[in-house]
Amino acid sequence: MAMSTLLLHYMQWFLVFCIVVCVVRLLLGPSAADRLVALNILSGVTLAFLVVRGVSQQRVLYLDVALVYDIFGFLGFLAIARFLKDTSSEEEH
Amino acid sequence: MSIREWLALCAFLSAVVFGLAGLVGMFRFHDPFSRMQAGGLCGTTAVFSTCIGALILAPNTAIAARIVVIMAFFLVSAPTGSYIVARFTWQTGISAGEESAKPKRLPHHKETT
Repeated sequence: MAMSTLLLHYMQWFLVFCIVVCVVRLLLGPSAADRLVALNILSGVTLAFLVVRGVSQQRVLYLDVALVYDIFGFLGFLAIARFLKDTSSEEEH
Repeated sequence: MSIREWLALCAFLSAVVFGLAGLVGMFRFHDPFSRMQAGGLCGTTAVFSTCIGALILAPNTAIAARIVVIMAFFLVSAPTGSYIVARFTWQTGISAGEESAKPKRLPHHKETT
């Protein structure tokens, strides 16, 4: 196996490990802010995984998916933060 | 090993070091601001280093160009996301150095009225 293939292979496993740890933090919480921090990092790590997977498989499709995932992930993240803020301010009134 | 593989190895090693540091910080720190600092800073550096390593190992120009676009967008979206989390945390009423489970400070919009 070539060295570059090996590097990309191990990097994918490391990124999967990071994703699992971020999901654990996301589930543990305890507050919404902690979950948002974990979600923010999870989105970036998933993006890196898709990029490494695309280079490893030599397919452009993974990179297109990664770009769209990053854009929509950011928009979804904005919407979640906005929704949580509105919900918490409504509960106080 | 060619020089490209050595450079990619360096980028991936730095990604592993920063990624592990960020993950450990996310679990060891107690308040959301410190967690965000550890996770956001190290997460951004790790993802960026990974993208640089992948860019070095890219087999053709189509893949390399897409990775450059992804990196450019990520450089904008990741700090903005961290800023949104920080603002949300501040408005929730959690102060820096305070554990997230027991917020004591009043929310920001109540202080201004």
